Amino acid sequence: MLKLHNLSKFYRTDEVETVALDNVNIEIESGEFVAIMGPSGCGKSTLLNIVGMLDSPSDGDYIFMGENVAGYPESKLSNIRKQNIGFIFQSFNLIDELTVEENIELALLYHNIPAAVRRERVAKVMDKVGIAHRAKHMPSQLSGGQQQRVAVARAVVGDQAMILADEPTGNLDSAHGQEVMEMLQSLNAEGTTIVMVTHSPAHADYARRTINLFDGHVVTENLRAAV
Amino acid sequence: MYRNYLRTALGHVFKNRLFTAINVFGLAIGLMSCILIMLFVREELSYDTFVPGGEQVVRLHSAYYQPGRPPFETVRSAGRMKDAIVTYASAEVEAGVRLFFNGTTIIRDADAFTETMTFADVSFFDVLALPFVHGSAETSFRNNNDFVITEEIALKYFGRTDVVGETLISCCLGPESTALKITGVIKDIPEASHLNIDMLIVMDPAIFAPFPNILDTWTSMNVYTYFKLREGATAEQLQERVITWLDTESIFVGDERIPGKPSEFSKPRIMEFEDIHLSAREHAGSIGDMGPMGDQRLVTTFIAVAILILVIASINFMNLSTAKAANRAREVALRKVMGATRTQVALQFLSEAVAIAFTALVFAIVSVELVLPIYNAAIGKQLELNLLSDLPLLATLMGGAVLTGLISGSYPALYLSRFLPARILGSNKSSDGAGQVSFRSALVVFQFAISIGLVICTAVVYGQTVYARTMDLGYNTQGKLALTNLGTVQTPEKLEAIRSALSKISSVSSVTLSSEVPSQDNQNNTGFRLLGGEDAEANADNTNLNIYTTGFGFFEAYGIKPIAGRTFDKTFGADQIIPIPEGEDRIGSASVVLNESAVSMLGIGSPDQAIGKVVRGNAFSGAGTFDFTIVGVVPDVYFRSVKFGVRASVYWVLPSRYRVATISFETNDVAGVISDVERVWKEHMPLTPIAHQFVSDMVAAQYDQENRQAELFAAFSALAVLVACLGLFGLASFSAEQRTKEIGIRKVLGATIRDIVQLLVWQFSRPVLVANIIAWPVAWYFMSDWLEGFRYSLGDSYILMVAVAAGTIALLIAWITVAGRAYSVAQTNPISALRYE
Repeated sequence: MLKLHNLSKFYRTDEVETVALDNVNIEIESGEFVAIMGPSGCGKSTLLNIVGMLDSPSDGDYIFMGENVAGYPESKLSNIRKQNIGFIFQSFNLIDELTVEENIELALLYHNIPAAVRRERVAKVMDKVGIAHRAKHMPSQLSGGQQQRVAVARAVVGDQAMILADEPTGNLDSAHGQEVMEMLQSLNAEGTTIVMVTHSPAHADYARRTINLFDGHVVTENLRAAV
Repeated sequence: MYRNYLRTALGHVFKNRLFTAINVFGLAIGLMSCILIMLFVREELSYDTFVPGGEQVVRLHSAYYQPGRPPFETVRSAGRMKDAIVTYASAEVEAGVRLFFNGTTIIRDADAFTETMTFADVSFFDVLALPFVHGSAETSFRNNNDFVITEEIALKYFGRTDVVGETLISCCLGPESTALKITGVIKDIPEASHLNIDMLIVMDPAIFAPFPNILDTWTSMNVYTYFKLREGATAEQLQERVITWLDTESIFVGDERIPGKPSEFSKPRIMEFEDIHLSAREHAGSIGDMGPMGDQRLVTTFIAVAILILVIASINFMNLSTAKAANRAREVALRKVMGATRTQVALQFLSEAVAIAFTALVFAIVSVELVLPIYNAAIGKQLELNLLSDLPLLATLMGGAVLTGLISGSYPALYLSRFLPARILGSNKSSDGAGQVSFRSALVVFQFAISIGLVICTAVVYGQTVYARTMDLGYNTQGKLALTNLGTVQTPEKLEAIRSALSKISSVSSVTLSSEVPSQDNQNNTGFRLLGGEDAEANADNTNLNIYTTGFGFFEAYGIKPIAGRTFDKTFGADQIIPIPEGEDRIGSASVVLNESAVSMLGIGSPDQAIGKVVRGNAFSGAGTFDFTIVGVVPDVYFRSVKFGVRASVYWVLPSRYRVATISFETNDVAGVISDVERVWKEHMPLTPIAHQFVSDMVAAQYDQENRQAELFAAFSALAVLVACLGLFGLASFSAEQRTKEIGIRKVLGATIRDIVQLLVWQFSRPVLVANIIAWPVAWYFMSDWLEGFRYSLGDSYILMVAVAAGTIALLIAWITVAGRAYSVAQTNPISALRYE
C-alpha cells in the first residue's frame, strides 16, 4: 500500500530548526491495521499528516501505491487523497451548519458523483454505522460517540482504501471508544487499510501491528499474533 | 453540492447576523450611490446623441486674446463666419447654419405667451437632420419666414400636431405683428440636448438689416454656427483649415492693430456636436450657452465619489469576512481533506460574496426608488429607474453586483482557500496571523482616509458656497423687484410712460432703468482713451472697459455711494448720452461714473484724481463718439457671481439701452406690489406677458448650482462616513469578541471597565489617526486647485482648519462606535468569559 523511505520532516522558525521526523522507514501493506503510538511530540501527528498527504515531507520518499508522491503539488495530492484516503479526527470535525446526512455527503461532493447515487451511498453507510435514525439531526444534537460514528461514515462513504484515524477515541468514554474500535475492526476485516494514532494500549491491541515512535524515530515495531 | 454550499452559507449568515447586516447594508448604500450617480452620468453622456448624422456635426466657438485686455471667449460666432468657412473649407464642410435666438410674444385668441424664436438659415436641416412629423426638410424650410414648430408647441396652441397651414401671430419680430404660417412640425428635442429649439423660422435678411451686428459682422459674436462635415473629414482638419483661413484670407490679415498673426489673437475653435454639453463650458466664457451647460468635472467627480463609496463598502466586506475567517477555517480544512481543490473552495466563497452583493442590489434598487425624487430635485433633472423596460441598465446593474461581489469576495476567497488543513485540524491554532491583522488595519486606514478626504472636500465646497453667498456684494438687493422684459417696449416714450406709472404706485419708492440688474451678465466692452494731462502719453492706446448702462437714480436705488465725486444727476443736464444724429461729424460730450478697478486700469493714481478727467470712446447703438467727463467713482461691487470677480467698469446713461426696471418698494405687502405692477404693465403692454423677479432671488440663483453640488457632496460623503463607521463597528465587535478571554484575564487581574474600553478604543484610534495623515495632503491638493476657480475664495488656512475638524470628527465617530461595543464587552463577568474557553 505505502512505503516511507528515509523520510524526514523539519519545521523551521527564524532561529530554531525542529526535527519532527528523522529518517523514518515504514512499510504498510494493503489490508493492514497499524497503530502508531508514542509520547506527545514524538511525531505521530506529523507522520499521519504526511501519510494522509495533508503535509509534505522535507526529505526522503513516500511511495503510495507504487507512486513516489513526495514532491507532488497540492492539487495532485488532493486528487490522490480524495480517491484513496478517509480521515477520522479526535475532535470529530463535523460542520456545525450541516445535518448528519449532509456532513457525510460532503466526502462525495468533490467526486463528481450524481446526487441520486450520493444519497444512496450515504443512506447505506449510515445504516452500516447505525446512525440512520439521526440523518436529519445537527451535530450539536448528537453524543460524542454518535458524532464520531458520523465521522467514520464520512471517512468510508467514498470507498476509500485506507483510513487514517488520529486518536479517534481520545474524546470518547470507554464504552463509546470500544464501539468505534469495533467499527474500525470490522472495516479492516472488509479489506480497508487502517492507520491509527492512539495513546491507548488497549485500543492499539485492535491493530495487527504497533509502531512506536520516539523523538521522530521508529523505536520498535511489534507484530501482534493473529487473533 | 450547491445545496450544501447554500446551507453552510445560510448557516453563517444567521449565526453572524450583525456582520451580514453590516455587509449587506454597506454594499446596498454603496450600490445605491453608484446607481444614482450612474443614472446622472448616463444622462449627461447621452446628450445630443439623437440627431441623425450628429457625429458629423460641429460647432464654431470664438475667442479673442488681446494684449492687456481680459480674454473674450464665447461659444457663439460672428455672423459672416459661416459663409466664409463653407466657401473656404468646401473640401471639409458640406453645409453650415447659423442660429439666432430672440424672445417673442405669440398671440393666440386672447392669450399671449412668451416664446423663444430660433432664426436659422435655410440650410438648417442639411446640418441638423431633426426628424419631421409633418412636412419635410425639402418642402418645409426653403423660403423666408418658413415656420417649423415642435409637436409640443403644436399641442400647446392647437391641441393636435397636424397643423401645417395654420398660423400663429407673433408680436414684433419687426415693428408690426406678423402672421406666421406653419410649414412643418418636427419631433420634440429631447431633454438631453444642449439645443433649445421649439420654434424655428427661416431668417429673413430684411428683418436683420437694421441690426448689422447680428448677421453682417466679423466682430460681434451673436449667432451659433454649426457645420456638417463631409464624410471622412474630421473636426481637427476643419480646425486647421479655419486657422489657415484666418491667417491668409480673413479681414484681420494686415490689420495693424493686431501684433503677430491673426490666429494668435483670434482663436476660433471647432467642437464636436456630441461633446458640446459637457465640454462647451471651457469655451463659453461668462456668457454661457443657449441652455444650462453640463460640467465634465462634476461628472468625473461624481464617478469618483461613487467608486469610493463602493470601495469603502467592499473593504468592509473584506475586513469582516477575513476577520471571521477563523470561524470557517475548520470548514475549509475539512472540505479540502475531502478532496476540494483550492479553486473549488475559492469559488464557494466568491459565490457567497456575489450572493450578498445581489441581496444588497435588491435593497439598493428599492432605496433608489425611494430617494429618486429628492435626488432629482437636488440635481434638477428628471431621472427614472425603469429596470424592466431598460434591459441595458438592468444588465449593467447585475454586472455591477457580480463585479462588486467578486472584488469584495476576492481577498476573503483567496485568503480562506489558502488554509492548510493539517494546521487547522491538527492544532487548535487560530489561523489569524499578525499579517492579517495589519492588512485589515491598512484597509481601515484606507477607508477612513477616503472618508476624511471626502468630508474635507465637502466642507470646503460648502464653506466656499456660503462664503460666496454671504459675501458683502457692496449693494443692497432687498425690497427690489426687477421687471426684466422692457426690451419688448418699442418706443422711449412708452418706456417713460410705464416708468412714470410704476413710480406712482404708493408703496414704490423709486423706479430706475438700466441695461442689466445685478446677476444679469453682459459682455459689453468698449475701448476708452484718457485725454490730456500728463497721463495722456501713457494712455495713447485704448483701454477696454466693461459697460453698464444705468438710468438716473440707479446707484441710489442700490445704495451704492460714490467714494469720489458724485453719481448721475438729471439736474446737471449734461450727464446723459444724446445720440449724435447721423451725418453730423462731431464729438459729443456726456458723463461717466467709473468703478475703482477702472480707475486703476486707466492708470489714474486715485479716485479723487479721476474726477474731472476726460476719456474718449464710442457710445453704443451707433450714438457716436463722445468725450466723457468722469464725474464720480464708485466702489467695486459684485454685479455677477463672486466666482468671476469684479470687472473694470464704466457706467453711463444711454436710454436706448434700457432693458430692465428696478422697482424699489417699502412695504411688507409684497403681493400687493406685484399685483399693482402687473396691473400697470397690463395697461401699457396688454399683449406682452410680464416678466419679473426679485433681485435678491436673481442674485441668490447665481449660486444655485454650487449650492446643489455642495448639498449632494455632503449627502454622499455622509454615506461614505456611515459605511466606513459600520465597518469599524463590525471590526471592533469582532475584536472585542475575539479578545473576550484576554479581557477576562485582565479583569481578573484588576483592570477596570475604563481600562478595557481604553484598550480597545486606542486599538481603533490608530488607523483613524494614520488615515488623517494620508487624507489631508490629498484633499488639500484637490481643494486648493478647486478654490483657484474662484476669484475670491477661502484660503488654504481654511482647508487646514477644515482638515483638523474633519479628522477630529472622524476620530470622535470612531470612538463612539468602538467605545459602545467595548463597554458592553468589558462589562461581562470575567468568569463567564473564562469558564467556557
